[in-house]
Amino acid sequence: MGNAALRDIAVIEEIPFDDVEGVVAVDAHNWLYRYLTTTVKWTSSEKYTTAADTEVANLIGIVQGLPKFFEHDITPVLVFDGGPSELKADEIESRREQRETYEEQLAVAREEGDELAIAQLESRTQRLTETIQETSRELLRLLDVPIVEAPAEGEAQAAHMVRRGDADYVGSEDYDALLFGAPLTLRQLTSKGDPELMDLEATLAHHELTLEQLIDAAILIGTDFNDGVSGIGPKTAITEITEHGDLWSVLEARGDSIEYGDRVRQLFRDPDVTDDYSFETSLDPDLEAARAYVTDQWGVDADEVERGFERIEESVTQTGLDRWT
Amino acid sequence: MFKAIVSAETLTSALDSVSVLVDECKIHLEEDGLEIRAVDPANVGMVDLSLDAAAFESYEADGGLIGVDLSRLEDIAGMADSGQLIQLELDEETRKLHIQIDGLEYTLALIDPDSIRQEPDIPDLDLPAEVVLEGSDVNRSVTAADMVSDHIALGVDDAAEYFYVDAEGDTDDVHLELTQEDLIDLQVGPAHSLFSLDYLKDMNKAIPADAEVTLALGEEFPVKIYFGFAEGQGQVTYMLAPRIQSD
Repeated sequence: MGNAALRDIAVIEEIPFDDVEGVVAVDAHNWLYRYLTTTVKWTSSEKYTTAADTEVANLIGIVQGLPKFFEHDITPVLVFDGGPSELKADEIESRREQRETYEEQLAVAREEGDELAIAQLESRTQRLTETIQETSRELLRLLDVPIVEAPAEGEAQAAHMVRRGDADYVGSEDYDALLFGAPLTLRQLTSKGDPELMDLEATLAHHELTLEQLIDAAILIGTDFNDGVSGIGPKTAITEITEHGDLWSVLEARGDSIEYGDRVRQLFRDPDVTDDYSFETSLDPDLEAARAYVTDQWGVDADEVERGFERIEESVTQTGLDRWT
Repeated sequence: MFKAIVSAETLTSALDSVSVLVDECKIHLEEDGLEIRAVDPANVGMVDLSLDAAAFESYEADGGLIGVDLSRLEDIAGMADSGQLIQLELDEETRKLHIQIDGLEYTLALIDPDSIRQEPDIPDLDLPAEVVLEGSDVNRSVTAADMVSDHIALGVDDAAEYFYVDAEGDTDDVHLELTQEDLIDLQVGPAHSLFSLDYLKDMNKAIPADAEVTLALGEEFPVKIYFGFAEGQGQVTYMLAPRIQSD
């Protein structure tokens, strides 16, 4: 989820999609999750549920989400999370607990026949099941979209790839990308309209901070891995870090403490990432096989995905005039 | 300095032929007429337009450059009946365009030309086949093809010496052959390319039915579509990149 309070710190501007060029290392879980929640919210469940009662709304989501990249001649590389880091396990546990609460509420809503509440709750109880993980990868493979398996956080791996120059942007809704040192992050890739560009260098320059200090400020506010210090919001965090220099000095001056502060810091400064990946940027999707996989093998309603496949087909074959200049 | 009087019909034709591709454009106010060059955001379709000073009732300009929001300007021009005259005058100080139509005064805020997408380089195309036909034939080809498909093949059979149009849909097909006799002119050469009807439909809207249209074609090459308007004192060249079938 990341910390939305970072938005107040980050330098973000909306940019035209046409200005985006190259390779986007997309945080796959973050991206898929968005499409899962919207698909589940707006599409009736029979359209993506197999005869065996397995839900594959992710397949609709992928087919809806990818054309945007193809149409703008951007190569998406989907970076999947590896095992959760130990600290994040708490977050996952608390999300699981929250989901259980939603599921209980959902059962009540169903009993009472409250359609709106059911729709809302269904979208929140979505999770990336084993089937979703597997079928997503398979569909991406058929569409020739590169996949990278991160050792831990997909977002950290994506940031690492941009830092190494193998990708041009991280694609994530999550502001944490900044803390993982992603030079440029595209947000709102899943929305209609233009994306937002989050710029690390501009952010650091704006606040006159180093990346290490920015991480410390974020830890004070609170991250996925730790609760912040109560009473410290974005503004205060920046002021305190500027005044005292680093996390420990701020905590000492305030007489506060953060559990595992040093480990959280280490997770952002030196995340578990790998150089062991490779991908091609020119994609050659097998649309026939992808269609068959989604509609025949998994029984997704063809109407739900046809438009997306058509958009991919169209964009793959349309040349640009620049080819002749 | 820019001051001109032009018939609503001429101005509208010029604007419409550009606005099918872009929302904003730069207009060069040259001494001998207006020039506009623009490419759509996907870099698939390009327009190169010139409107000679002779097409205006009166025309004075000295090489300025303005940026306009086309739909705004089209709306204003639409306030005039087609025969009416529109008076245009650039206020250099305020960077606004004063427009007068039969007593109606409209002040249009211009757009900073630097904020508009860069004008495209014109592709250097060596197209072996050239077909000259009436605008109405382009229209019926595009309209029929659009009933069955999203794209259209344009080609020349260089052995049998005819120009053809092909569109294949899921169930229905459209085919049209025009020989030398049906055409105004035909220069035979190897040509076959596939184009998106989305673009061609829009370009077609700007082609007058009675215009003499020249199509220059090649094998999997962009098409160049050339026609005149305003009694030949305005010229439009469209260029449209082909779709290339993936293997």
